[in-house]
Amino acid sequence: MEEKEIFEKVKDAIVDALGVDDDEVKAESSLFDDLGAESLDLLDIVFRLEKTFGIKIPRGAIQLDILAAEGVKESDVLVDGAVTELGAKLLREHMSEVKPEKIKAGFRLDDIPTLFTVQTFVKMVKAQLAAK
Amino acid sequence: MKLKDRVAIVTGAARGIGRAICLALAEEGAIIVGVDVVASEKSEALVSEIKAMGGTAEAYQADVRDFEAIEKMAQHVIAKYNRLDILVNNAGVNRDALILMMTPEQWREVIEINLYGAFHCTKAVAQQMMFQKSGRIINISSIAGQTPGRGHANYAASKGAVNAFTRAAAVELAPKKVTVNAVAPGVIETEMSAEVMRRAKDLVMEHIPLKRLGRAEDVARMVAYLASDDAAYITGQIFNVDGGFRG
Repeated sequence: MEEKEIFEKVKDAIVDALGVDDDEVKAESSLFDDLGAESLDLLDIVFRLEKTFGIKIPRGAIQLDILAAEGVKESDVLVDGAVTELGAKLLREHMSEVKPEKIKAGFRLDDIPTLFTVQTFVKMVKAQLAAK
Repeated sequence: MKLKDRVAIVTGAARGIGRAICLALAEEGAIIVGVDVVASEKSEALVSEIKAMGGTAEAYQADVRDFEAIEKMAQHVIAKYNRLDILVNNAGVNRDALILMMTPEQWREVIEINLYGAFHCTKAVAQQMMFQKSGRIINISSIAGQTPGRGHANYAASKGAVNAFTRAAAVELAPKKVTVNAVAPGVIETEMSAEVMRRAKDLVMEHIPLKRLGRAEDVARMVAYLASDDAAYITGQIFNVDGGFRG
């Protein structure tokens, strides 16, 4: 599936879940800051995407990816739930769609959903479709 | 008809309050899926009665303690009717005993059916209601959750927890326009209360200002109201239907 097609379907899911206007949803829109989502809305969107694309998006997928990065130990990237300098670097690379200044050492891994943009979901769907 | 073509799941449907709830919702036009732990003639009789009223109903066998079975039931309902509007968590049991005599099994069974059951069913329907941006979840609690008497610590604990669960679920699901309320019956004429009444009818009556036992229909009418659009702005509340019971 082409990325453009994935984006359109992701956009539909977000419009349905949040009740926002079609033209408000851009690839770079932040779910929380720009589109006014709450935590339950993210689940709503994930459920809709799973249904639309026939995929399963693992909960906490990004956290898991960071912790499983090659050649690093968990203690190198994470201390008491917050990312280290190295963890922040890996997270910035992994979430290249997010403004880099939003991810600094000390950022809490549990707060990753607050970084989500529309493009984050597009990437998640792409990864799961590729793994299928 | 205030619930025309709304799809309702009612657990513990075959008897007592559950049966009256099914009939009250069906009278308002709802499609009824009555869930019971065993398939019985009573479940079939209820389905026939609703069909004779010109309504739509089916009996489904599942144990509310078994989350996988409940999830399967919810999926069946969604696949068949393409929507899911109302859940009434009514399935419940009592296993009365003084705490000193109560076995851990008696405690566990009551908590598992009354409390885990409500959680399992709520979780199983929440996604569909979230997609629809509408839904009504109504938990059948008991005044025992607020003013427990002797000999049913397990039941009182389960219903007190159901009240807290009601308030918590209401807060969580409100952004998706799903309301969650509880109805707390007092002493209602059912098979479940028959034993208590046999032992202590006069004592019970002293506590009921309206001087009669409740009827299952009294509870059912409150449930039908909470399930309707008229109750759209009500969530996280516990409604006593108890004749003014004073403990």
